[in-house]
Amino acid sequence: MKGWINGIGWVTAAGYSGGRSTDQQPLCSGSVVAPKRKQIFDKPDLRFGRLDEFSRIGLGAIALCLRDGGAEEWSDKRQIGIVAASRYGCLATDIGYLETMIPNSGALASPKLFVYTLPNSFLGEAALRFGLTGNTLVLNQEDETAGLAAVRFALEDLSWSEQPAVLAGICDLAPPVEFARADEYPGGLFMLIEKEPASAVASYGEVELRGDDIFFAGHQVADFRSLVGECLGMLIR
Amino acid sequence: MNRVVISQIAPVTALGDGLDPLWQGLLAGKSGIAPLTRFNCENYISHYGACIDDLAVTSGGSLLDTILKRVALQLGDLPEDCRLLVASTKGEIDLLTSARRDGDDLPATVLAAPFLDKITRQFGITSKAININAACASSTIAVARAAALIAAGEADAVLVYAADLVSEFVFSGFSALQALSDQPCRPFDCQRNGLTLGEAGVAILLLSETAAQQRNETPLAYVSGWGMANDAHHVTAPARDGYGLIQACHQALSKSSIAPVDIAAINAHGTGTLYNDAMELTAFGSVFGESLPPLHGVKGSLGHCLGAAGGIEIAIGCRTLQEQILPPTVGCCDAEEAGQGKLQNVPQDISGDYLLCTNSGFGGINAAVILQRSR
Repeated sequence: MKGWINGIGWVTAAGYSGGRSTDQQPLCSGSVVAPKRKQIFDKPDLRFGRLDEFSRIGLGAIALCLRDGGAEEWSDKRQIGIVAASRYGCLATDIGYLETMIPNSGALASPKLFVYTLPNSFLGEAALRFGLTGNTLVLNQEDETAGLAAVRFALEDLSWSEQPAVLAGICDLAPPVEFARADEYPGGLFMLIEKEPASAVASYGEVELRGDDIFFAGHQVADFRSLVGECLGMLIR
Repeated sequence: MNRVVISQIAPVTALGDGLDPLWQGLLAGKSGIAPLTRFNCENYISHYGACIDDLAVTSGGSLLDTILKRVALQLGDLPEDCRLLVASTKGEIDLLTSARRDGDDLPATVLAAPFLDKITRQFGITSKAININAACASSTIAVARAAALIAAGEADAVLVYAADLVSEFVFSGFSALQALSDQPCRPFDCQRNGLTLGEAGVAILLLSETAAQQRNETPLAYVSGWGMANDAHHVTAPARDGYGLIQACHQALSKSSIAPVDIAAINAHGTGTLYNDAMELTAFGSVFGESLPPLHGVKGSLGHCLGAAGGIEIAIGCRTLQEQILPPTVGCCDAEEAGQGKLQNVPQDISGDYLLCTNSGFGGINAAVILQRSR
């Protein structure tokens, strides 16, 4: 099962960017600042500022990824899917929502926040902005390399469906302190994986699923961060 | 493509434990919807829910623990190489709510990994589990994913476990969105005005046909097709033209290599909200035209079981094909015009080999699974 990585975009502790704009490894420890609308979209987008942080980070990463892959503009809806791996999901939004629900016995529960207590809501935000009509879901896995689970899923979906492309990546805010781990790279990072190399931009290279292992440009990659590093053509320290 | 068998089904719903009491309750037109006592509803627009009877909670445990055990009790042996796909939208949200209310530390099981670990241990599965979160289409997509893995020869056995609770967290949210009905919901009825929440747990074992034969397991049904599509329209409201659901249905029909006229019955999502049910009838009208088969929805009996809804409805679909009877749509007394003659609040005889089961959810996602009758 093979595909071509044609775009990469992220909102992480390293900032926000597409893969063609920097040679810095974007998956690093630190805090993530949810982007403002102007940092992602040129045009007004009234809903963006109302989104929870998790959704703004995920949507921002998807937008930058599509832009990096030359696939941001659209006129007809496109059968492109999104698979997002997440360790914590929208836990922070859940907690925020509970802070509106618990006082006053639910009388002041926030409908605006509740909508984003489903971790796949930001995928809907991305779908409607970019006309993406493929399969859209969030994966939670007991996996140290959760991002690769999304890439595996995407490559299988590409192989088993009519979708020409799938956005695969990760989205997580920094966890509550009691759950913090040493290997946390909070933020959102997505790859545009297509059945064919991109025509509008140079592809980063071919990614392949052999058994459970992921190979990029013929080399096995150990984790999602390494795959990103390989794509950006840099050594991971 | 390997044939995909459904060989075991283990549901726990407001109509009891097991498929037999669920089926008999549905045929009798029973409803598990009742006034809620689990939490104080005085500030919410509904006082109704479809809760599972006798859900005991252990100290520090979640109500989902009991559901999990009651589902596991019904299952036979699982293959050693069985994979596990979980479908839950909010998992042990009752524990998170309690912890925040009491000012306690967050329980570890609010994270996916320990939650999944608990489920794998309960079922004795050795491989890593994965949770699929696609709102109310989660378990439909999990079944589709399981079928895809088996069809492609990537797995011989996959257990799908889906579960969600009636929780104050979700109840208050739907109340704040004005999406709850003040009375038990009435799917596809002209007077419908919202949904009623329900809860369920269900395990569905999918096997390759070869594995089923080796284990002497009798197919309850086959999964012959599936499709998933996003509306790309709105985060909470369905596309009025049914775009995503139409695409999902066409994909499932294509995968099954059958025509719309081959579908004997539809188990629709049928939440009882104004826009969802109208969207579904529009989509089915587009897909089936004059050949629209009998259809039904079970949420007037079971409430909307969120991430578990599709799993429960696929379980019911298997029995529907076996018995060639479509259960009534409880609460649908005066069907929407587009469904008149096809939606009944009494059981309907059906005739045919294929049943379409669909679900749609927040985030614009739609999913369709086609079941094939086992003879």
